[in-house]
Parts: sequence; C-alpha cells; structure tokens
Amino acid sequence: MKLRPLFATLCLALSAGLAFAHHSFAMFDSDHQILLSGKVTQFTWQNPHVYIHLEAKDAKGKTSVWTIECANPGILNRTGWKFNMIKKDDRITAVVAPLRTGESGALLKQVKIADGRIFGNGGPAGPPSISIEDGKPLAGAKK
Amino acid sequence: MKRVALPLLGAALLVIGACAPDAQKAASAPGFDPKDFSGTWDRYPLAAQPGGEPVVLPSIPVAARVPDPPLKPEHVEAWKAERKKFADATAAGAPIATGYTHCQPDGMPAMMMGMFPMEVLQTKRQTTIIQEAYNQVRRIYLDDTLPAVEDAEPGFWGHSVGKWEGNDFVVETVGIKDYVKYNNTPHSDQMRIHERMRMIDADHFENEVTIEDPVYLTGPWQWKWIYQRRPNYKMYEYVCEDNREFADPVTGEARMRIGEKK
Repeated sequence: MKLRPLFATLCLALSAGLAFAHHSFAMFDSDHQILLSGKVTQFTWQNPHVYIHLEAKDAKGKTSVWTIECANPGILNRTGWKFNMIKKDDRITAVVAPLRTGESGALLKQVKIADGRIFGNGGPAGPPSISIEDGKPLAGAKK
Repeated sequence: MKRVALPLLGAALLVIGACAPDAQKAASAPGFDPKDFSGTWDRYPLAAQPGGEPVVLPSIPVAARVPDPPLKPEHVEAWKAERKKFADATAAGAPIATGYTHCQPDGMPAMMMGMFPMEVLQTKRQTTIIQEAYNQVRRIYLDDTLPAVEDAEPGFWGHSVGKWEGNDFVVETVGIKDYVKYNNTPHSDQMRIHERMRMIDADHFENEVTIEDPVYLTGPWQWKWIYQRRPNYKMYEYVCEDNREFADPVTGEARMRIGEKK
C-alpha cells in the first residue's frame, strides 16, 4: 500500500443522494429549533442512529425525557465524536429540531457535553439556527 | 433553471478542456497503477468540514446530476406520480417510509452512489466492494460468466462479472430484486447494469453506469459517479441493531419511536 496525500476530509458530501443515511429528516421541524438542558438518562451508540435520552425542561417548564436522534456512529466518528464521550447522568445542553408530531423526540443539531466541548451532528443533519449558549437566533443561520 | 444550466455547462466544458492535460499528467505519474482501485473511497466531491461546501478540484469537474430514467411512455406517469407522492409528503413534513426505514440496504445500483465510505479489495479472480452503510458487500467475479436471466436468483446486489478492457474495469450485473429500486425506477428481470470503472489519477476513479432494461426503458440510462480516496481510513461496522423508525400502519409515514431502549 503506497502512502497517499492526506485529505482534510471529515464528513459526507452534501448532495441529493447523500442527504440522509437512514430516513428523511423532514419529520423534524428545523425551522423551530429549541434548546434543551438537563441530565442524560441513557446514551446508546448503535446503528442506524445514536440516541441521547435527556431529562430536560421545555420552554413551558415541563420536565420530560427527550429522545434525541443523532447521526450514526460512522458519521459521528468522522465528525470527531467518541463512543464514550457522553455518559449517563452527564449534564449536557443540546440544540434540537423537535418532532412535528409534538412528541418529546427530536433531531440533534448541536451538543455541549459535560466537559464543555461542542459538537455538531454531521453534515446531513444540518446546522443549528439558535445559540447553544442562550437559545437566541444565530445571525445568518441556515435551517 | 435552464438559463443558469447552459452557461454552467459551457463553463464546465471549458474547465474540462483546459485541465485535461493535468489529469493526463497525474495519471502518468510515477508509481501510479491505473488498475489499482484498492483502498477506501468517498463520493467526490467531499466537504472539507461537516455541512461545508464540497471541495472541487479544477482538474476533476463534478459529474452531472443523474438524469431521469428514459422510461417507456406507458410507465412515465406512474413514475412521476410516485416521485411526486414522496416529494409532497417530505415537503409536508410527513415523509413516507422507505426501505431505509426498515433498515434495508440500497442494493444495486444505489449502493455505488457511495452514501458512506466504501472499500475496494482486489484479488486476481475477484473484486469485492464493501459499502459501510448497512455493511453492504458485492462480489465481482473475473473469469466467470453471468447466469442467464431465468437462472439468476434475485438479490440486492445481484450477480456481477468483471473483465479488463485496457485499463477499464468493466462489470456487468443481473439479478436484482424487483423492489430494489434506484430513484423509484421500476425494472424487470431483464435489467442489466453495466459499469465501466476507470482510475482518473491515483486518488480518484470514475464509474460510468449504464442501465438497460428492454421492458421498462426506451434506451440506455447513463450517468457517472466519481470517488475520491479516503487515505488510511478503517471502515466502521454497521449493524442495524437499534432501529427506532417504523412505518405508521395507517398513513405509511416514517415515524420515530420515543422512549429509552429497554
């Protein structure tokens, strides 16, 4: 095997055929992203998706356990995640796009883990449109 | 759209013409083996960072978008209606469940679009292509003959035979299950998938795909996919062990199951 020049490539290309790996993200409302802050009750690192279960209050002060869908382990590894960087009982903050059905499920856009580091959810999931620090709209954010 | 497309096409052709000598130079670089496809690959062009713009090399123009299939007139309306149904449902925020919802792999030819990284392994009598998504594996046998259509047991990846024509690796595939579709396109058991894989330079190769199906198509359906090397990459496993998605039994929508894994 010859040595090849190393490309600085971390994520999947965006095109129609590569927009999602397992299913369409249209079930999530990326136009109305919310900030969730709370305690991890379960973290599963499996295919076809990694899931964070987060006990958090919503804007109305109601506490629920949110099922937060992340990309798959392959995409997340290529984005810089590590399989054990989130653990049960960690306190984390997440920007998410909630399910349109109103259920306490969501697609992750960005997460701030217990040690303060911030990670995206890979290219196909799309970027956050609100700040993970204060929930305010980000200037020029793409949805 | 058309007003924009024509100047873009012109510009692309200029780029191709201007850069062709560079590509030839790269292809003749010392140590370059035009028959060596081995390694791990991504679909070209790749973004430099998640969500970023794809990085396009001047010497390798982006392949044209996959055209609509040249369906026979009697199949066009049904195909358009199917596409519209999916597009409308997605636009309405209620996407229809697909094979992915049930963790079914792409199969051929969709597997070769390179949704996730893929690995090519070459031995004297077999080329094996592994797609990371869904652990898909296709085996292309050299020095072999394709089964007759009536003897080709249908599968997701079918039966593939490859041969060398100069530096082109030419592959023919038959025996794809009728519900394994690309771009919602119907096909019969007569469908044949032809691929012509060619190294562009040491770090890029292209795959010219041609679909023929005398039952559904008026002529060949052709496009090209290009791949770029992902050096030193080790493929991840992909076992669909925790599928939270399901098809709503009433509406057919893709839904997500809420709640912790038991």
